[in-house]
Amino acid sequence: MHRRSRFILAAIPILALSIAVPFVNRVEPRILGLPFILAWIAFWVVVTPFVVLRIGQIEGRW
Amino acid sequence: MNAATPLGIVAAVVLGTMVFAWINARRVRMSPQEYIVGGRGFGAVFLWVLLAGEIYTTFTFLGAAGWAYSFGAPAFYIMAYGTCAYIIGYFLAPAIWRIGKERGLLTSPDFFAARYGSKPLAVLVAVVQCVAVIPYVTLQLSGLQIFLTIAGYGKIDAQAGAVVGFLAIIAFVFATGLRGTAWASIIKDALVIGALLFVGIAIPVHFFGSPAAMFDQLLRAHPHALTLQSVSGVHGSVWYVSTVLLTGIGYYMGPHSIAAVYSAKDANALRRNAAFLPFYGLIMLLVFFAGFSALLISPGLKGIAADQSFLVIVQRFYPSWVLGFVAASGALCALVPATALLLSAASIVAKNIIGDVFGVGLEDKARVFTTRIMVVALGLFALGLWLVFKTTLVELLLLYYNGVSQFAPAFIFGFLWRRTSALGIGLGIVAGLSLALYLAAFNLTPFGLNAGFLGLLLNASVVVAVSLYSRPSEEFFAQTHRKAPG
Repeated sequence: MHRRSRFILAAIPILALSIAVPFVNRVEPRILGLPFILAWIAFWVVVTPFVVLRIGQIEGRW
Repeated sequence: MNAATPLGIVAAVVLGTMVFAWINARRVRMSPQEYIVGGRGFGAVFLWVLLAGEIYTTFTFLGAAGWAYSFGAPAFYIMAYGTCAYIIGYFLAPAIWRIGKERGLLTSPDFFAARYGSKPLAVLVAVVQCVAVIPYVTLQLSGLQIFLTIAGYGKIDAQAGAVVGFLAIIAFVFATGLRGTAWASIIKDALVIGALLFVGIAIPVHFFGSPAAMFDQLLRAHPHALTLQSVSGVHGSVWYVSTVLLTGIGYYMGPHSIAAVYSAKDANALRRNAAFLPFYGLIMLLVFFAGFSALLISPGLKGIAADQSFLVIVQRFYPSWVLGFVAASGALCALVPATALLLSAASIVAKNIIGDVFGVGLEDKARVFTTRIMVVALGLFALGLWLVFKTTLVELLLLYYNGVSQFAPAFIFGFLWRRTSALGIGLGIVAGLSLALYLAAFNLTPFGLNAGFLGLLLNASVVVAVSLYSRPSEEFFAQTHRKAPG
């Protein structure tokens, strides 16, 4: 579980914010008024801190 | 319009910030460690504003809104790359910090000397970093001039104002070092967030009812503005992905960011910061709201005028004291990052060139003195360059954005691959930098890829190929392992 899973966890938001964005490159459905592509990016920006906190937990940092 | 109110607010805020930071930083007895890396004692708040404050420079304030205005969706990369950078930083920053602490490193080239045991490599890095940082400082001066022009309703000599502000900043860095930058950054960030909350929410609500209604109108007027318009064209999907990856990898690579990493009091402070920093990037949404609102309210602006679009709206439709506070936060966005950049360039020249090459200023007291002299010398040099070449220097900035990323393989390979050699890193930097600058200078984008990203690919390939056929620096690992307990 330990060493590999933290790198997989770390890769998820990076891929979601880079490679995945061309695949969500559309306006609809609008979320809270934001075009979908922008809402997608904002969603991952908000989720990332929790992912990083989890990585720290797996590593036993806190 | 009365220009005295907004200009008075800008002057009072800038002066107040410097005095506040100076009072808080002055009690420290200066050693090179104190002056350059804050005595390696910075906790959560200082690290936060130093590492996150990187995003809030004039480029963000003016450039990101200008990008949203001029290009639309491609601007979204600005919100994505910081988050990628913090994830990488969670792993990379503590490793850099640990070596800095063990070896007493002060500058980014010091890392190259320590890891690769090569003085010529450290000098090469020192020269490239100084050449990259000085144009970045002059960009901040241009930003400051824009804020002063707008705050003065175009009635005052903003260039003279920018010169005065910058001279004050040189004196400020001379006196306080990194601790002063950290204290000033706290005020800067608080004001910037306030200003962005205002322009990003008040403007769309005032003119359109809500940000969502603003997007409705925007989609009617510019149906294609909010998505990437091609796969491999200019600012297409390929460009977006390669730019997010390049800038995400390059984020911590500026010499001032490395100094901020060294300044941490422990490795976990850096990790915790990396976890929470993405929240700061969310504020970038408000910058986009402001830029898009400006596009609907005053369409048709081009280039620098587009960058200033939302400021002109504040100037035209809001009271002068509001303009004063927005311009003041912008002025701090120019001046405070300039202090960090200037200090990092000065410390590199003082330590890695004057000290390590010419053997001058090796004692603690002498080193603080040579660093301070270089703060003044490089500050005046940057000011002179700006006054003479103002416009053409913007092109030199390509050297910064594409350039600092080319140092990433030295850090990443340096930790992950023992065989990485000084020759490989040196040739990789030269190759990557040459390709990135060549492509950028002629505006070439093969396959729609970002020029710096292609440079980085070439760089990494050269590092691997050359390292396989040259002598690695084993001495570094020998020393590190000897020190490790058990």
